[in-house]
Amino acid sequence: MLRSPARRDQDEGIRFSRTLTAALFVAAILLIIFDRPDVRPEGLSQIRAAVVDVAAPALDLAARPLRGLTNIGPYWVRQRELAEENLALRDQLAETRYWRDLALRLRDQIEIYEETLELDVPASQARVGAWTLADPTGPFVRSRIIGAGANRGVADGDPVLNVYGLVGRVVETGQRSSRVLLLTDLNSRVPVLADRSNARAVMVGNNTNFPRLDYVGRDADLQEGDRIVTSGDDGVLPRGLPIGVAALDRDGRWRIRLFSDQAAVDFVWVFPHDRIAPPEADPVLPEDENSSELPSEEAIAAESDAPEGVDAGAVE
Amino acid sequence: MNHRPPYWLAVWAAVSVVLSLIIYASPGRLAQGPDLMPLLPLMAVFIWSTLRPRFMPPFVIFLIGIMQDLLTGGPMGIWALAFLAAIMIMRVRKEDVAVKELGPLWFRFVAVAVIATLVAWSAGSLAIGGPAAIRPMLVEAAASILMFPLIALIFVRKRSARSSFG
Repeated sequence: MLRSPARRDQDEGIRFSRTLTAALFVAAILLIIFDRPDVRPEGLSQIRAAVVDVAAPALDLAARPLRGLTNIGPYWVRQRELAEENLALRDQLAETRYWRDLALRLRDQIEIYEETLELDVPASQARVGAWTLADPTGPFVRSRIIGAGANRGVADGDPVLNVYGLVGRVVETGQRSSRVLLLTDLNSRVPVLADRSNARAVMVGNNTNFPRLDYVGRDADLQEGDRIVTSGDDGVLPRGLPIGVAALDRDGRWRIRLFSDQAAVDFVWVFPHDRIAPPEADPVLPEDENSSELPSEEAIAAESDAPEGVDAGAVE
Repeated sequence: MNHRPPYWLAVWAAVSVVLSLIIYASPGRLAQGPDLMPLLPLMAVFIWSTLRPRFMPPFVIFLIGIMQDLLTGGPMGIWALAFLAAIMIMRVRKEDVAVKELGPLWFRFVAVAVIATLVAWSAGSLAIGGPAAIRPMLVEAAASILMFPLIALIFVRKRSARSSFG
């Protein structure tokens, strides 16, 4: 139906319900209070993951031409440098082949040792490749949306790597998409160690590109350029994932130059990873013929003056 | 009789809002160079709430803000509050609603972008329990203000082609 000019003028001066507007303001404020990362209820997390899941196909479609542009841009801008880069890459490839052979040999050796020692080591070869679907540059949260979810075995807490190193970990898992909390986010805490000296610390995201190292210890054996990897002390991430190199900032505090920064976070791998379950506080002893040699639970309780829960604290 | 049926305009409004959200969230940083993504959803909300207020009731503005929150991964409500506050404050004076030319439109958008950024920064800082990084937000606001005429021209021209405004 066509509109008359009078109707249009009326349209320009339209007034909306003040009550509804006020209610929306209140709703927004309530959401901010209850949807903070540290107090977010499970229900809201599920809603968030579901909405991103629905948006994922559209985001993927929008990201495809951008991926193409990413390749075109540098090609024209750096045309002269490409030949040199090609040569350098060939050198690197030759060097990498040597390391690859060495790694394969070592892997064979380790498998033999593990068999000899009858170690039950979970296989961690499986990885799920995924494209980055959305990379919104929010000032409050540093996260990415990737195009793999629970349908491909991704779960909360799984580490996410690009070709150079650790990018972050999965924090919200939908069916077809997941949100990755980057190492640089304020809420990111990763226990790490220096490859060279095993000096331990906790890497803390601070919304800059250079996360800082906390809990370093007074006499920690840490040097600039030390390779920093995950220590696996939290039982969430596996040990040994490459993170970056240690560097001192102007104020003399330890920071990390991330390996994953060398490339845009476009294609990533998620490593589905079985977390190490903490030992039970009160394990049930197996009832077999050996159990008679062990003291009974009543005897342990009678001998121990320690209050309940102390043992649990000690093992954690 | 040269006016198109308004539902085409409504479809165009909806498409432009959805596109603005998707492009805003798209991995622009994958390309080399500085990250200068303007606040496209705010531009869409502002332009439509000025040109066709009927398409932008507060509830729709709220939903667009929530979508931006969800896509950026921040706590829900931050951008919803910022969009509502900025648009509602600038909608107070009835005579201003008739602004249809690029100059005054741009001038008003500067105020909208500044208010939205300030509200979002304050709400975001409260939500994360410490001051949020102000620099990326200022860069985003500046990019939005500078790129606004390019985006607005699409809408103003489109509108002037079928009506006496613009």
